[in-house]
Amino acid sequence: MYADHSFREILLGITGKDFTLMAASKAAMRGATILKASDDKTRQLNKHTLMLYSGEAGDTVQFAEYIQANAQLYSMRNDSDLSPSALAHFVRGELAISLRSRKPYNVNLLLGGVDPITHKPSLYWLDYLASLASLPYAAHGYAQYYCLSILDKHHHPDITLGQGIKLLTMCIDELKRRLPVDFKGMTVKAVTKDGIVDIEFDDDKVVKSA
Amino acid sequence: MSSPFSINGGAAVAMVGKDCVAIACDLRLGLQALTVSNNFPKIFQYGDVFLGLTGLATDVSTVSDLFRYKVNMYRLREERDIAPRTFANLVSSSLYEKRFGPYFVSPVVAGLDPKTGVPFICGFDSIGCIDFAKDFIVSGTATEQLFGMCESLWEPDMSPDELFETISQSLLNAVDRDALSGWGAHVYIIEKDKVTKRLLKGRQD
Amino acid sequence: MSRRYDSRTTIFSPEGRLYQVEYALEAISHAGTAIGILAKDGIVLAAERKVTSKLLEQDTSAEKLYILNDNMICAVAGMTADANILINYARQAAQRYLLTYNEDIPCEQLVRRLCDLKQGYTQHGGLRPFGVSFIYAGWDPQRQFQLYLSNPSGNYGGWKATSAGANNASAQSLLKQDYKEDCTLKEACGMAVKVLSKTMDSTKLSSEKIEFATVGQTKDGKIYHRLWSADEITALLKEHDLAKDENAEDK
Repeated sequence: MYADHSFREILLGITGKDFTLMAASKAAMRGATILKASDDKTRQLNKHTLMLYSGEAGDTVQFAEYIQANAQLYSMRNDSDLSPSALAHFVRGELAISLRSRKPYNVNLLLGGVDPITHKPSLYWLDYLASLASLPYAAHGYAQYYCLSILDKHHHPDITLGQGIKLLTMCIDELKRRLPVDFKGMTVKAVTKDGIVDIEFDDDKVVKSA
Repeated sequence: MSSPFSINGGAAVAMVGKDCVAIACDLRLGLQALTVSNNFPKIFQYGDVFLGLTGLATDVSTVSDLFRYKVNMYRLREERDIAPRTFANLVSSSLYEKRFGPYFVSPVVAGLDPKTGVPFICGFDSIGCIDFAKDFIVSGTATEQLFGMCESLWEPDMSPDELFETISQSLLNAVDRDALSGWGAHVYIIEKDKVTKRLLKGRQD
Repeated sequence: MSRRYDSRTTIFSPEGRLYQVEYALEAISHAGTAIGILAKDGIVLAAERKVTSKLLEQDTSAEKLYILNDNMICAVAGMTADANILINYARQAAQRYLLTYNEDIPCEQLVRRLCDLKQGYTQHGGLRPFGVSFIYAGWDPQRQFQLYLSNPSGNYGGWKATSAGANNASAQSLLKQDYKEDCTLKEACGMAVKVLSKTMDSTKLSSEKIEFATVGQTKDGKIYHRLWSADEITALLKEHDLAKDENAEDK
């Protein structure tokens, strides 16, 4: 049922003073095999909202692009973008409908953004059951067990982007140290009030096990 | 796989006092043993009526949003707030609509009758069978513990202050003996023309 | 000649007109006046009540002012029965939006939803258009306080001050004359009663003859909308010296 590989896929999100930092692992897996080392598990929904996804192959991209298309249709029809909060609730609604259908989508999501009016950063955690939680920092899969405790200790709501990246590096170093399989590095993006920017991230750093 | 009622965890309780009622819930949202959020309230206010929802988190959100829709339409049409007893029957019939594919929630309703001011509380099973009570209603993963706490602390005709103390101690001590609920609490004390909401910190482990 | 074109809503006349829509507009021009004024800190809607028989049951509910949503109210000019259908539609649309997005529907979107429905009845055959104009007053975080007017054709527009119903033209010119940019809600209320007193048949007004509602912002930033009670309307009329003399009840 719940494919094991989706637990090995890493999604991370951290909010700060004026940004939401999002990171996803680059490995595409099937069973014991790594099929690809440059997989993109992110979709931009509008100017200031980014969605990360993991889960069953096929379901993930299908669902993410369905949401992306709906977000963009809304922007075109109404000359204004949905806020991250509105999008999170919309996605939750769609997942909740899917949950009670014949073949539910098996997708876990992180939705990060900056509100276009208030400029407040936000991060939403959604699982395949359509449970929704607004959090200061979040993760999916095995990453939850390793990273949440690190973030519990070191996160503050008013950190700068630089501090956020440092925190993210701590988390990823720990994953490299503890996870049995190479996840092929991370795609890192930051959402700010000016839009979504790619963050250079050193994937070649070697972390020795304890 | 575990029961859908105990994946996310959570607890809620309602109590009757003298000319007042109280309703309280914990704040945990978890995935089995892992705590995901410690800010997931399970009490929802619809005018003067309060609804507590425990069970599967996705259905807690779905059902609370659905009743917001229904109660808002009721208020606009009738040009008045819904009464607790009316709302209880709405909850019952709405849950029974899904008899063969139910929402995995255990609702609790609390409020004062808008005309007489008489306290009203009740609970439901997931398919809408109403459980009327004169004393207290419990729901969630800490029901056993809550029953024990309420049974020993509750007494008739408590003042709002006594009721607050009783419901808070009942909930806090019940969730401390349940691994799936806790992490703070919301408590509402409802009197005629006055609602007091208090946030309790509780143990954070 | 017009008989060939006016019995069906879907057919243009040779001059390119839709007679049924024009008849609907005509019906509205006999209805009680409704006006709306946008102030910097709120919006006022005021409407004239046409039927004021002493035998009529005076319940609390307003006849021409309706709540659409937590962030929006509207005034009706035209056929109340038609309006009820549209108001119910608007309320459902607003609540459905709240259910999907967990946010109040932006004002213009709600207006547009209603107007799309109204437009449909000018194009699909066999049915008559809705005989109502609406004045909408609302607030949303993107564009703050907003005032809109829509008519049976399905056209709508945003306004600083506008009117619908009987004597609509004279009300409009009075509003144009008196409107001040950056006026406060209190000043707007005064202007509303003054305009109504001039457009209504009797110069002296009473609370039975008009309805009043405001959308505003409380000190802690919350948006409220409120239908005024009879006493509040009487007090406002007294303040502007427009109240009917209590002793001269019968004309």
